[in-house]
Amino acid sequence: MSDDTLFQSRRAFLQALPAITAGVALPMSTARAAEGKHHWAMLVDVRKCIGCQACTVSCIMENAVPENSFRTIVSTYAVQQEVDGQMTASTYMLPRLCNHCDNPPCVPVCPVGATFKRDDGIVVVDGDRCVGCAYCVQACPYDARFINHDTNKADKCTFCAHRVDAGLLPACVETCVGGARIFGDLNDPQGELRRRLDAAKNADAIKVLKPESGTRPNVFYIGLDPRFQGRVEGQAAMWQPNAHGG
Amino acid sequence: MSPSIVEVVNVSREVAWLPWAVQYFFLIGLSVGSFLLTLPWFVLRWPAWERVSRIALLGALACGLTAPVALLADLHQPGRFLNFYLHPNLGSWMAWGAFFIPLYLGGLVLYAWLVLRPDLKRLADAGGRWAGAYRAFAYGGHDSVGAIRIAAVLALAGAALVALYTGMEVMVVSARPLWDTPFLPVQFFITAVAGAIGLVLVLDRFVGDGRAAAEAPLLRLLAATQVLVLAVGAAWLLLGISGLSPRHAEALAQVAPSAAWQITAVWAAGSALVTLWLAVRHPEWRLAAGLIALHSAWMMRWTVFIGGQEIPKTGAGYYVYHLPLGHEGMLGIVGTAGLWIAVLILLISVLPWAGQRRAQA
Repeated sequence: MSDDTLFQSRRAFLQALPAITAGVALPMSTARAAEGKHHWAMLVDVRKCIGCQACTVSCIMENAVPENSFRTIVSTYAVQQEVDGQMTASTYMLPRLCNHCDNPPCVPVCPVGATFKRDDGIVVVDGDRCVGCAYCVQACPYDARFINHDTNKADKCTFCAHRVDAGLLPACVETCVGGARIFGDLNDPQGELRRRLDAAKNADAIKVLKPESGTRPNVFYIGLDPRFQGRVEGQAAMWQPNAHGG
Repeated sequence: MSPSIVEVVNVSREVAWLPWAVQYFFLIGLSVGSFLLTLPWFVLRWPAWERVSRIALLGALACGLTAPVALLADLHQPGRFLNFYLHPNLGSWMAWGAFFIPLYLGGLVLYAWLVLRPDLKRLADAGGRWAGAYRAFAYGGHDSVGAIRIAAVLALAGAALVALYTGMEVMVVSARPLWDTPFLPVQFFITAVAGAIGLVLVLDRFVGDGRAAAEAPLLRLLAATQVLVLAVGAAWLLLGISGLSPRHAEALAQVAPSAAWQITAVWAAGSALVTLWLAVRHPEWRLAAGLIALHSAWMMRWTVFIGGQEIPKTGAGYYVYHLPLGHEGMLGIVGTAGLWIAVLILLISVLPWAGQRRAQA
C-alpha cells in the first residue's frame, strides 16, 4: 500500500501501522486517496463477515442513528441445506447498506432535488432541503432508506462522507472485525479495492444486489449466495422494531 | 416461503407513506370523480343530472379542500411544502403534483363560484341577514355559460393532471412490483369515479332529497365502474398467472402466499360484485351500494399503500404493520374525516348548493 492511498480495510490499516507511527508528522493529505476524481465504493467479502454487528453499532454511534433505525445492518439467516446427503444448518451473514448506485432510483423521484449523487459517487441527502415526503424511501430497491424520527427527514448510509472527506474510513469499515468491508476509490488502480475487484473479476466472483434492477450499485460482494441477491425467499425476521415512532 | 431459510436478524422498515397518504389519495380521487359528475348539469345542462351535479359539486369541494391538508400532514412539518416551489425537481411526478393540485383546486373553486352565481343572487334577493354579502359574492349573479365552460376546461385539465400524476407517481416506483404496473393509474381513476358516485348517493340520502339516482342513470354508471374494476383486476391477475408479464408475475408471487392478501383480494372482488348487484338489481338499496363503493375506493388505496409497504424489498416474509393510535395513524384518519365533515357542514350552510329548491325553501 502506498503512503498516499487511503487505508481500505482495517487489516490493511493494521498492517500499515508501523508506517503510520513513523510518518505521524506528515500532513493529513498523505492519507487521502490518489489525486484526481474519486469514485468511492465498497467491497464486502461475505466470507469474512462473522455477523458481530460491530459495523451496525459503530454506524449508529458515528451517525447518531435513532433507535430502531439502521443505516447498515448485517442480515443474518439460518440456512438448512443438504450437503453430501446430510442436512446441515449454517448461518449466513449479509451486510446491507446503501448501494450508492451509479443509477440511483432515489435521486430522480425526489421532488425537491434534496437527494443527489456527489461527484465522488456518494449518494447523499441535503437535510436542509428534504421535505420528508419519503418518495426516495419507496424508490430505493434495497430498503436502504428510512425516515429519521428525530429529523423527520430521509436518512441513509452516506459512506460516512464526513469521515471520508477528512481522509478517514467509514465507521463500519473501521470497526469490521473480520475485515469484510473494504472501502476505497474505484479510480485508484493501486488501491486495495480496485486490485481486489480486478482480481476477483477474473474469477467472476464479484456480485451486486439486484443486478436486474439496473441500478449499477457501488457496493460489491464476494461470496454472495444467489439466494440472497434479491428478495430472500424464506421465513420472516423474528425480531422487528416495536413501535412506529422509534 | 422456503422452510430452508429463516431470517434471524434483519431490519424491519416502517411504513413511510402513512395513512395520511391514503387519506390524500382517497379524497383527491373523490374530488376529481365528483367534479366529473358536476359537468352533465352545470356545463352540458342535462336536466336529469341537476340533482347529481349539485350534490357532486359539494363533494368535489369538500374533498378537494380537505385533501391537501392530509398531504401536508404527511410531510411531518407542513411548512416544508414551500420547498416544492423553491426547488422543484421537474423529473419527479411528485414535484409536478405541487403545481397540478393548485391548478385543479383553483379551477374547481372558480368553476364552483361561476356555476353558483345565479343561485347566490337568488339567495341575496330572498333577503335576510347575509343578503348583502351574498349580493357582493354573486357579483351580478350572471349565468355566464362561456365563463363556466372556460373554468370547467381549466378544472378539467387540472383534474386530468391530478389523476395522471397521482397514478404515475406510484406506478413509476419500480422497486415495488405491486405498484409498478400501468393498471394502477387506471384502477385509481375507476375506483375514484366509483367512490364519487358512492359519495353522491350517500350525500343524496343525508343532505339531498334522495332522488338523485331516480332521474340520472347514476346506478348504471356505478355498475359500469364495477364491471371495469373487475375487468382490470382480472387482466392484472391474468398477466400475473400466465407469466406474460414477468413484472406482474413477480408482484403476484409476492402477495399470493399471504392469507391476508388472499382475503383482501376476495374482499375487493366481492365488494365490486355486491356493488354491481345492488346497482343493477336493487336501486332501492342505493345507499348501501354507495357506501360499499366508497369503502372499496378507500380499501383499494389502503391496500396499495399500506399493504404494499408491508412487502420487504430485500428481506423475507412480510413486515408487520400495526395502526398507531396517534397522529401517524388512527388520529390522522379520524382527523381528516372530521375536517371533511366540518368543511362539508360549512359548505352546506353557506352555499346555495341545491339551487332554486334551497332558495325557495
